[in-house]
Amino acid sequence: MSRIIDAGLEELSVMLCRMGELTYETVSLSIKGCLNGTSVYSQVHEMSDALISMSDQAEDKTFELIARFQPVASDLRTIKSYMKIAYDFARYSRYALDISYINEQFGGLKECEEWITEYIEKMSEKVVNMVRTSIDALRSHDTQLAQTIAKTEEEVDKMYFEYLDRLIEKAPATSKCTISSVLVVRYLERIADHATYICESVIYLATGEKTTLR
Amino acid sequence: MSKVDVCGLNVWFKDNHVLKDIKIGIEPNAVTAVMGPSGCGKTTFIRAINRLNELIEGSRTTGEVYIGDENIYSKETDIFDLRRRVGMVFQKPNPFPKSIFDNVAFGPKIHGTDDEKELQRTVETSLKEAALWEEVHGRLEDSALDLSGGQQQRLCIARALAVNPEIILLDEPCSALDPAATAKIEALMRRLAEKYTVIIVTHNMQQAARVSDYTIFLYLGELVEYGITKSVFENPKSELTEKYITGEFG
Repeated sequence: MSRIIDAGLEELSVMLCRMGELTYETVSLSIKGCLNGTSVYSQVHEMSDALISMSDQAEDKTFELIARFQPVASDLRTIKSYMKIAYDFARYSRYALDISYINEQFGGLKECEEWITEYIEKMSEKVVNMVRTSIDALRSHDTQLAQTIAKTEEEVDKMYFEYLDRLIEKAPATSKCTISSVLVVRYLERIADHATYICESVIYLATGEKTTLR
Repeated sequence: MSKVDVCGLNVWFKDNHVLKDIKIGIEPNAVTAVMGPSGCGKTTFIRAINRLNELIEGSRTTGEVYIGDENIYSKETDIFDLRRRVGMVFQKPNPFPKSIFDNVAFGPKIHGTDDEKELQRTVETSLKEAALWEEVHGRLEDSALDLSGGQQQRLCIARALAVNPEIILLDEPCSALDPAATAKIEALMRRLAEKYTVIIVTHNMQQAARVSDYTIFLYLGELVEYGITKSVFENPKSELTEKYITGEFG
């Protein structure tokens, strides 16, 4: 016989999986718009608003489960982790919105040299993969998959700092390109951080161990 | 250093082996909660700490229980003094059909205190420690049976405190109380732990999580887990503990 709390945990889990898929779409769309130079701001804005609202709903649900069931052990860890993950998803959407805003406001990477666009495209691929990994690890509470994110997180971090160094060294870009590209790589790096936090939360909820994958 | 060291404790009631080779050290000045499903030996465990089990016909105990350096199961133990040092509060409040004052003064009197002023001081101190003084100081001669359930339970705690114990055992002290009275007893337990070693048996896991510093989980007479309450309730080591506290069985 299932427990009453199980229905609430399942509802929360479904809510987070939906959020996960929507954040994946949002981040992907925003990056695609930036790389292609197409305007996706209003679409991303709408998706981002939906995600913020879903994050609030998830938070309300976690509070309700805490208040009504006083969860402990794996139930408590799951609720705590889900609450953090909902926030991480909201942050994904916020950075996706920021990227699309940069594209809208400064023309994105239009004025950038080819090496910059290629560099950011390569970094984006890694970040989008990290977002996918975090969502998949969450769906199946797969700690092994969650662990794998550490390597990509390190690579993205390295790419971020390397990009800044290369930009200073080459200094070929226009002001618009410099501002846009620096902000975009910064937002990508932050998305990667949140993907890593999600994977840490997955490991915590499944095992009770607090791991740092950064 | 532990306040109570339980070394290989076994208790039988006739052929029923109720506690099996329990080994545990209970910390001083802390609240330790004992939890587990019905019949797991929780009450037997705490009653082993003041040798109340032996009042039950057919009981047999082996192993050692140390309070400080003294094995309370040695032949030299003065049981009368042991039960003064280890006070007990039961599930249902059980005040004597006497006045509030006489309930609290009862213990000191039978332990030889007959000085009226000293008795008054002890009664006042004990009622204050039990957070009851403010509610009853103007009517100490009223019958204890006129108090509410929660007040009666705090009176029983005051009665235990009046003989200057070291350890307080509470056997489901809130099971007959409403939420407000329960909250008062729980707050009191936290306060008492500043001075005494408090061990509570509870069926209510949320209560164990709220009030205790350490938690013991017993199952079928065996010690399954013992640890800091935060760890037991957040990340229990044993799968059995996990299943019990999350309501999968019990």
